[in-house]
Amino acid sequence: MSSVAVTPSTVSLPRCAQDLRAHIESSLGEHLSSTLRLQERAAPTTVPTGIAAIDALTQGLPRAALTEIAGPTSSGRTGVMLSALAAATRRQEVCALVDASDSFDPCSAAVAGIDLERLLWVRCNQAACATKRTRAKYQNSAFAFAGVLEQVLKVTDLLLQSGGFGMVVLDMGDIPAESVRRIPLTSWYRFRRAVEPTATVLLLIEQEPSAKTCASLVLQLQPEALCASNPSVERPFSTQQELQFSSPATKSAPALGSKNRLTYLQQGNVGRAVRSENYPPPHAMPLRGMRFRAEVVRSWANRKPPQSAGANFELRTAL
Amino acid sequence: MFACIYIPDFPVEAIARGEAFLRERAVAILDGKPPLTRVMALNEKARVLGMELGMTKLEAAVFADTEPTRGDDESSSEEHSARFDLAVLRQRSTERETSAHAALLDVAHAFTPRVEDTAPDTLLLDLTGLDRLYGTPGKMAGDLMSRITAVGMEANIAFAANPDAAMHTARGFNGTTIIPAGQEQKRLGVLPIQALLDTFEIAAQKKAAGKASERRSQQLHEQMLDTLERWGVRDFRTLALLPDHALASRLGEAGVQLRRLARGEGNRTLVLSAPPSRFEEAMELECAVETIESLSFMLNRLLEQLCTRLEARALAAHELHLRLQLEPRVADEETATEQQLVRSSVPSLNTTVQKVEARASSAAEAQAFRPAKHVTINGDSCPGREIKPIFERALCLPVSMCDSKVFLKLLQLELTAHPPGAPVTKIWITAEPAPPRSAQRGLFLPITPEAERLEITLARINAVVGERRAGIARLLDSHQQERFRMDRFAPAVSNPQKHDSPTSWDVNSSLPLALRIWRPARRLQVSLSDGQPNAVLLETRQPEQILLQGKILWSAGPWRSSGDWWTENAKQNGDRTATEQSGPWDREECDIAVACAGKNNTRGECSNVALYRIYRDLATGDWFVDASYD
Repeated sequence: MSSVAVTPSTVSLPRCAQDLRAHIESSLGEHLSSTLRLQERAAPTTVPTGIAAIDALTQGLPRAALTEIAGPTSSGRTGVMLSALAAATRRQEVCALVDASDSFDPCSAAVAGIDLERLLWVRCNQAACATKRTRAKYQNSAFAFAGVLEQVLKVTDLLLQSGGFGMVVLDMGDIPAESVRRIPLTSWYRFRRAVEPTATVLLLIEQEPSAKTCASLVLQLQPEALCASNPSVERPFSTQQELQFSSPATKSAPALGSKNRLTYLQQGNVGRAVRSENYPPPHAMPLRGMRFRAEVVRSWANRKPPQSAGANFELRTAL
Repeated sequence: MFACIYIPDFPVEAIARGEAFLRERAVAILDGKPPLTRVMALNEKARVLGMELGMTKLEAAVFADTEPTRGDDESSSEEHSARFDLAVLRQRSTERETSAHAALLDVAHAFTPRVEDTAPDTLLLDLTGLDRLYGTPGKMAGDLMSRITAVGMEANIAFAANPDAAMHTARGFNGTTIIPAGQEQKRLGVLPIQALLDTFEIAAQKKAAGKASERRSQQLHEQMLDTLERWGVRDFRTLALLPDHALASRLGEAGVQLRRLARGEGNRTLVLSAPPSRFEEAMELECAVETIESLSFMLNRLLEQLCTRLEARALAAHELHLRLQLEPRVADEETATEQQLVRSSVPSLNTTVQKVEARASSAAEAQAFRPAKHVTINGDSCPGREIKPIFERALCLPVSMCDSKVFLKLLQLELTAHPPGAPVTKIWITAEPAPPRSAQRGLFLPITPEAERLEITLARINAVVGERRAGIARLLDSHQQERFRMDRFAPAVSNPQKHDSPTSWDVNSSLPLALRIWRPARRLQVSLSDGQPNAVLLETRQPEQILLQGKILWSAGPWRSSGDWWTENAKQNGDRTATEQSGPWDREECDIAVACAGKNNTRGECSNVALYRIYRDLATGDWFVDASYD
């Protein structure tokens, strides 16, 4: 990455310190003067994710840097990932997806607009990385994913060393956070150093942030609400702990009116369903999408973002 | 203007081409079946030692180093110098001679299209009109010499006004010789008459067909040499001074022809040859090689020679075939014996038997990931004949390339993934030629991986994650889940016309909700209420440790889907098509929302709702979860 030298006038130093530096610089000569200047990284170039709300929040994904997108299941991580990959392939960049749990869905990717011809999909293989005995031994422990994570790290190393990829995605969304945390920080540091002189976006999808300060941008996603066919009755379940769905006319079912309404109340961690008297056929209310909330945990643009910095976005099902 | 390329001691050069250290040693080439093995070629250093053509193997062994020769000699300096004075005996290798001759032809055809393939060690080139392209004859000779050196041989090059004079000069003088027009008789005069008769014999042998004609021409050659020696004619000049009529009356037409050649007056039209279309290099090993590291040195030599040949013809390779002859094993002998017994009732001339062939699962896969392992057993049904198993690998390259280091790395990775399983005694590498890749890059086009580096990276990734687990997912025309095919990754060339960089503001706002597939689908226990799923529990706790249990907060469905019902009938009819891999499916899908414990960084512990796709297999009635929405 190129760096920009900040001129002495821009750095506010005490008078005596400035005099001292000027004296040392003049005595050491021009060739050593650069060591005394404060080096500051240039702002990285960014690429859009394809989701306006996230782009407005983060100014895009930085190139030559590591970006983490964390969140639990159904928090929109994969949607954001596919959107970013689609935007990259539309720019005719070659991308790579290191799929730790072999969970990539090519149909979803095609619907999202990804040019599959430009996407190298590496399916890590749980079966190939350990013997049966080892798997049985570590089946119920955090070591169960050691082999897969080793594959992920090796493949990522190879891809970054090969160069020429516009975006490299490490999808560890289904790997438990406890296992991902076992990846030594030196690995993330190595990746960051490997990606720095390139124009590659290194994107990490996981359940909880694990790259610490090696990540230039950390985005935390949370599910906000399920979107039913009628938006007027949707409510965010995480705050009000209530879900409401209606079933208006869809192409797969006749209109059922306001009587045919379901209300699901969520109490604590376990949901309890309360049904109305007129039970509608369930397929009459297909899932329309989900609403998510994105929060910036760390950003290259703002070192300490306020906790409230966030944005809502919505992903819809492909009906 | 004509040029002649002559490789002195061609069988030695063909061997030394792949083993450069032999150039520093006295080398003698043996030919013939024991006990009639004799020295058929030797280099200048061997002649200095006192070796001669036609020596028996026992006679040659007196001058020879009996220990195996290595390029990286590890012996002490005294021992080294003592061994250095001894000759190296090698068996004649027709494969190497063929490769060397093909390399020579490649060089000649890269220089001019008008080439006569006079003999394995002699080529004649018509350079008429090429002075405007290459410059003076001196420059042409230098250029030609550097090209021949690049393919690993040392040659004599001669330029003359007619092809025969050029050939005599090349065979008679070392290095580069240029004879100006009109001075042929003067320059050729010092050459011994033997050189003239040798070339005369080559021409006669080319005209003659069959061994009888060859023997006749040899007898004629000996008679003529005998006669001329009796006359005291020992060089070209003496023969050129003889009167034409007297020579014709004594030696006939051949005598007149010889005199004309001795005067440097021969003039004829070249018999043009086509450039070789097969690019193959072979090497027979003295000792069997067991490790891939040792084999890599041999592969490197062969690949370098192959790439030099391809470069000489301005070509590249889009496919590489590696064949390894393995040492016979007991298992092979037993297998072959069984096959011989089976085949004894059906006599066959060509008895190449394919023993193992890993077939690609479909035609498309076979095209994408080309072969596959072949071990063939060469040998006829004669019980005394040694069985020689052959191991074959093929590398299909996405783009044509011509880099020996890339080829070597790819072959190393391929052999590491698929080891031959027995010591190697002989190597063949064949390249399928293709026009070199031409790519016009633009300043404003996005970067793409280099094809060569990408190919090595893919091979390394395959070694990590396994075969066919890295590539392009190509969707198939089916409604079944998981209907895609993994293809080889070869990114398309960027098209500047299509290049657009959308921002987030011009992207369509309706972004799709993505699915994460569970491979394989997990079995579920589902409790039903009014025929609808009410609560779920994963039957087996997988190491993934994804907790899927609890009451269903919301559900949609079911949606029924089925397909490939016809494949059952197809199987019954014996119609084995590509669809036989996937059986019929019939299932009911539901989308469900389940509460799961989670952690929110900003709000502490909370409950998240996760969306899953579950389905009931209508054939068995079992419930499965196969995807989550994310």
